[in-house]
Amino acid sequence: MLNRREFLASAVMAAMLRPGAAMAQAAAANPDDVFLNRLTFGATAADRAALAQMGRAAWLDDQLARPAGDPQIAAVLDTLRLRIEYEAGDDGEGGAWPAVNELRPLAALSADPATLLPLLDWETPMDYSERARPAEEVILAALTRAVHAPAQLREVMTQFWHDHFNVDSSRDEFVAVFFPSHDAMLRDHALGNFRQMLGDVARSPSMLIYLNNAESAASPANENYARELLELHTLGAPHYFNEFYDRWNEVPLDDEGVAQGYIDEDVYEVARAFTGWTVGDGRWISEGVLSDMSGRFYYAEAWHDPYQKRVLGIAFQPNRAPMADGDQVLDILAHHPGTARFVCTKIARRLLADEPDPDLIERMAVLFRDQWQAPDQIAQVVRLLVLDPGFDVPPGKLRRPFEFLAALYRASGVQVGGISNDYHWQLAQSGWLQHTFPPPTGHPDTLEDWLSGTVILRLVDLALYAHDDWFGCTTTRLSSLIPPDMRTLADLGRDWSVRCSGQPQDAMPDLWTAMEALPDDPLPKDEGSRHDLAAMSLAYAALTPQFLFR
Amino acid sequence: MADPILVVIFLRGGADSLSVVSPTGDPSYIAARPESLRVSRQGDTPGLILPAALADVDFRLHPAAGELSELFNAGDLSILHATGLTLATRSHFEAETKIEQGVPGGNQGGWLGRWMNHVQPGGPLPALAVGTSMTESLRGSRAAVAPDLSGLALAAGHWLAPALEARLRAGFGAHDRLGATMQDVLALSQVLKDRYWQPDQGSMRDYAPDVEYPDDTDLAASLRTVAQSIKEDLGLRIATVDYGGWDTHVNQAGDFPGLLSGLSRSLMAFWRDLGPRQQDVAVVVQSEFGRRLRSNDSGGTDHGRAGVMLVLGPQARGGRLLGRWPGLENAALEEGADLAVTTDYRDVLTEVLTGHMRLDRPDLIFPGLTHVPVGLYG
Repeated sequence: MLNRREFLASAVMAAMLRPGAAMAQAAAANPDDVFLNRLTFGATAADRAALAQMGRAAWLDDQLARPAGDPQIAAVLDTLRLRIEYEAGDDGEGGAWPAVNELRPLAALSADPATLLPLLDWETPMDYSERARPAEEVILAALTRAVHAPAQLREVMTQFWHDHFNVDSSRDEFVAVFFPSHDAMLRDHALGNFRQMLGDVARSPSMLIYLNNAESAASPANENYARELLELHTLGAPHYFNEFYDRWNEVPLDDEGVAQGYIDEDVYEVARAFTGWTVGDGRWISEGVLSDMSGRFYYAEAWHDPYQKRVLGIAFQPNRAPMADGDQVLDILAHHPGTARFVCTKIARRLLADEPDPDLIERMAVLFRDQWQAPDQIAQVVRLLVLDPGFDVPPGKLRRPFEFLAALYRASGVQVGGISNDYHWQLAQSGWLQHTFPPPTGHPDTLEDWLSGTVILRLVDLALYAHDDWFGCTTTRLSSLIPPDMRTLADLGRDWSVRCSGQPQDAMPDLWTAMEALPDDPLPKDEGSRHDLAAMSLAYAALTPQFLFR
Repeated sequence: MADPILVVIFLRGGADSLSVVSPTGDPSYIAARPESLRVSRQGDTPGLILPAALADVDFRLHPAAGELSELFNAGDLSILHATGLTLATRSHFEAETKIEQGVPGGNQGGWLGRWMNHVQPGGPLPALAVGTSMTESLRGSRAAVAPDLSGLALAAGHWLAPALEARLRAGFGAHDRLGATMQDVLALSQVLKDRYWQPDQGSMRDYAPDVEYPDDTDLAASLRTVAQSIKEDLGLRIATVDYGGWDTHVNQAGDFPGLLSGLSRSLMAFWRDLGPRQQDVAVVVQSEFGRRLRSNDSGGTDHGRAGVMLVLGPQARGGRLLGRWPGLENAALEEGADLAVTTDYRDVLTEVLTGHMRLDRPDLIFPGLTHVPVGLYG
């Protein structure tokens, strides 16, 4: 335990460090670690070795080539068990259910969504946690994938698209039940073709329900999805030209005769184009007609507004084929230079820096547009960014809470696979709501958005407690990860410093002083002490500029 | 006289002003919406009568706003209808940003951030954004951000906390991006631990409010934290509180009453908890926009224009419905669709800053604004 004398000693030592020391350390961050930390959920020893052996281009191409269906991570997910626990209850109408407390496999992750439709049937009595279960399974799997998936870049981009096409899976039981297929769809397309992804997102039941398009019928149409499609999914707020709100024919055109930006009238027209795009969950469509029970997209012709439309200055003829209106809107948007700029800016902001070089973004956007029909369009754009000399700049982005937690586990090398989603609650204290972020913007992505005392203190808590038993994410004891040849406390500090930053620069003398010990003291033999010392070393190694920034 | 305090509650998502304070007798209103999306004059739950009418359309508060009605009748609450951004936008994020920045062009922080930088209040906790992220309105200032005060104590109870603090100070105290935030959080952490840490209990002391707060809405917990910061003399001058969920594109009849009731009950609990400190406090309630006059075909309303602002505080001459009612006939609507904005929200905030916060230079907060009086004070 720390006494006053020891505390003073550590304070004196801290004061002796020159103010510039931290900056010098940050500037000296290992460039290969920075590269890996941008493209994975945190560099590991294995990543460092692979990168050293292959070189950046080959390492990147290997990552880009890894498919969504990876047998290694599938095997890990197969071993997971998520607890479901509720008391006996009844629905007040004669239906009742018994108490349940059991560990269940993640069966919904790969289930045909049609087989999950009984969870939406309110005639069948069950506790609400059964109905919300599919989304809970995705949330548990998210952390496991981030830590253990070999296809790290695909996972990084899947999380990116989850925020770009944000859905709050806790909105209601409908969004929750269809959320595993939403997640799988984004992972499939994460490095693929944007137009294909956009089409599948527009047809994703979770999205249709979250942004209310599933209820949009003529007339008036529901504008929620249409507005966010333009503002968040494609053109972006920079292309909202509402100063022309009543002069659509004065909005400047691009080189192909399409309006360069959108106004409210475009939102109204796009909303009309998507009327009737709903969900196959047996819902009422019209007298005697229900949607099918596919658990997938369903087109309700009776709800569609079939008449002529004008989108970004382009005239649509009336009474076209089913879904032609919506699909043409998606074609226009996916091919639009504004979409290319907006999406490429966000990709560069995610993987590289808050304010990416405009020239680099422009080159990405040109490629994005040229390759808009290529099956590997997104991979090509990511490759251009990552292999550009402009990618080699010092780290400036704070690891957001989910990334910080995943990076801690990747650095320590423990096996993650909890039986509860307590980690979700822990991260929520810092503003990270994995798969349950309410507004459609998704989590913000600049340092300024996360720069607060609360976030910093919650990251400190994660560094301190993530490996404790009660935290619930891992049962691996850190003592088991201490190499057998490790002799002194200073060795331990340097070992964790390497794991976290790729550099053995920190023997952590102030930590040992605070514990009333000396750096050259031998490591204790008992397991409990060794685990605790390793946990403290890890926290110290993680609370450095090299680990907090990427 | 104690320093005045301002609390700004932002209803995120676009609260339907036509359901908060409704022109119940307006034939255009009755024609544009089904009964379930209107406030009625008859039936089981008629709207709550507002005695001081703004126009001859029988304005009423929504029946779920009973406490707001009480505060209005007590003369503590002012209601300002048809307020908002004069430049039209129906994008949540653009409207929120513009309102919170309060100045065209950006890069000048938020309006409360400019107030902080102008006044430079001292004390350990001059400004608090209740939540996990900085609000746009406080941007540019070194406001604290936290859902509750106990969360601002560094590794409370951990035996290594002093060493960790030294570690963070050494590692980040001079960091170009994190340094200022780190210094602020470490200083505030120490103040809070000195005040609230109970060594015998191994925990931070809980706040004991003088009233019971509702337990069914996050807003109540946020306002409880604000009341604590005020009553325990931490030097609070500005607090921002977010209350989300108002984007009622569907199922408005189901969701809206609960949201408004949450606001109404939480605000009343907060106000009663303040007790004599009410004298020092003004609360502003606003949203980024109102909603479309005509409802959609899925039981909701889409993004509209003018909202309604509430100002709670004894300095204002409350119990009045202020602003200019533009009417709802087709020609009076903005773009033929939405309640028109007739009062710039900055005119309301300007009067709160001068009338309550005793600011003499509102032009520094809203540069370029030619103030049109709304008559909130005096």
